[in-house]
Amino acid sequence: MGKNAIEVRHLKKYFKVLQKETGLVGSFKSLIARKYEEVQAINNIDFTIREGELVGFIGPNGAGKTTTLKCLSGLLYPTSGEARVLGFIPWERRPEFQKQFGLVMGQKNQLWWDLPPMETFTLNKEIYEVPDGQFQQTLKRLVRLLDVGGILKTQVRKLSLGQRMKCELIAALLHSPKVLFLDEPTIGLDVVMQKVMRDFIKEYNREFKATIILTSHYMDDVRELCERVIIINEGTILYDGKLQEVVNRFAREKIITVVFSSSIDQRKLAEFGNIREYEFPKAQLTVPRTEAAKKAAKLLEEFPVADVVIEEPPIEAIIREVFTGRMKPFQKPK
Amino acid sequence: MRLKKYIAIAKISWMDSFVYRLNFIMWRVRSVLQLLAVYFLWVAIFKRGGTAFGYDQPMILTYILGTSILRSFVLGSRSVDAASEIAKGDLNNYLVKPVNYFANWLSRDLADKALNLIFVIGELIVLFYLLKPTVFIQNQPMQVLAFTIAGILAMLIYFFLSFLVSSVTFWYVEYSGWPLRFLSMVIIEFFSGGLFPLDILPPAAYNVVRLLPPAYFLFYPMQIYLGRLNAQQTAGTLAIMVVWVLILAELSQFVWRKGLKVYGAYGR
Repeated sequence: MGKNAIEVRHLKKYFKVLQKETGLVGSFKSLIARKYEEVQAINNIDFTIREGELVGFIGPNGAGKTTTLKCLSGLLYPTSGEARVLGFIPWERRPEFQKQFGLVMGQKNQLWWDLPPMETFTLNKEIYEVPDGQFQQTLKRLVRLLDVGGILKTQVRKLSLGQRMKCELIAALLHSPKVLFLDEPTIGLDVVMQKVMRDFIKEYNREFKATIILTSHYMDDVRELCERVIIINEGTILYDGKLQEVVNRFAREKIITVVFSSSIDQRKLAEFGNIREYEFPKAQLTVPRTEAAKKAAKLLEEFPVADVVIEEPPIEAIIREVFTGRMKPFQKPK
Repeated sequence: MRLKKYIAIAKISWMDSFVYRLNFIMWRVRSVLQLLAVYFLWVAIFKRGGTAFGYDQPMILTYILGTSILRSFVLGSRSVDAASEIAKGDLNNYLVKPVNYFANWLSRDLADKALNLIFVIGELIVLFYLLKPTVFIQNQPMQVLAFTIAGILAMLIYFFLSFLVSSVTFWYVEYSGWPLRFLSMVIIEFFSGGLFPLDILPPAAYNVVRLLPPAYFLFYPMQIYLGRLNAQQTAGTLAIMVVWVLILAELSQFVWRKGLKVYGAYGR
């Protein structure tokens, strides 16, 4: 158990959002009388992250993931509550703090659009006051790991999205940050490139003992990288714990897939559980978790079965149910 | 604060300008045309010689050519982009880094001003060669020094004022900075004395206009250069400019800090 890298207590961030009525008349109305509505982007969240942990933030669009990262990066002042990153209050924006963390936003760039990435790297070297030797060494290492040696002198605007994201990562890592916030680092990338990014993030976490928070829409990112996940929805934390536990905790059912060797009576099959799919010879049904084994055995007994598989429901499906409110928020066991 | 950082920022800003060669050339063409228009207007007015509004021809031509140099240094700037950076959330890139946003833009502006200054001097050499105007050369070193100091102070007044205008974006995000920017460009052109020396205005108007900050951008520095202010008036003018710099620097920092509190870091 290491020290705590990030501590968040009762953090709240409310935004006042201008309500615009639709249509021309509406636009004109809101020009004169402005209506604001308060949006609770983060509503009282608490968590602690230890040094060297790699934690995944998951949640639907607008859940408050990015807002949380922005508070932790010092971009936003919270409405109330506290946060400490490496012992610093982020929104004080002290240079000693800023030199120790990095932020990558998948949909934003810091690279100078019209210049080759190398120019941004050199600029960041000066801004972060990285010594020459260390800069050369770090750059060489990152360039090799991400395999971008050939494009350092190409204008950023001419790079592909994948190449650009790799360079964005390099730009954010040249000062060897101890804490890294990655907001959708794999968004819009093809599967091969997603894998490259993931491997790299894992490697960086391992090698530098860096503390990383990652948000992503892709469950694969989270599954592969994060032991621990924090599930956020509507500004509150629904779950904080091991990813695998999500399944045990939330899923009430298992999925049995059977392949029959000859035709069967569908009505009889329905007695076993909920038929999700039936297309001879294959059927898929959901059954209560506790009874899965028993039901499978009984299936084998009563039907001509060629094959049977018992599975957990996919994590995506469980989380989707958590978000749509079909599964209740959940208290962490003490 | 380490100077090296800001030199690096100025350098990359300069490189960036070179990418937009066409933009830059068009901008230069615009300023040359503007200069020629005003120049020929005044040549026409002085066709019969003599003096007009208390200026003789060499004086007024010096005023016009001088303001074109001053304009490139005082009004040429890149920090106009600050408004759109705030609106689009690109400000995030600076806020997470150990860099001072004001110093960042000042370095970028200085890089831009240096570039503009080099070009305007080149252009003027060509114009001198072609038009051979008679101009007034100031030979008092003290006047030239005072003129240089006034130019630098004017640049700072404009810089902080411009920053204040950009800060409006914190509260009115949907305003991209351009409407107000355009309005202020027109106002500045007129009230700074870019089209004519302000003291040719009717006394009532002149007495108001000469008190406004824009008058210090071009009009007062040129008055100093032309020797139309005595030593005491020159010192007084410079002192007022210093006060403006201090007030505007404080005010823009204050507004900036307030603005950051409401900044939404939008654009994801």
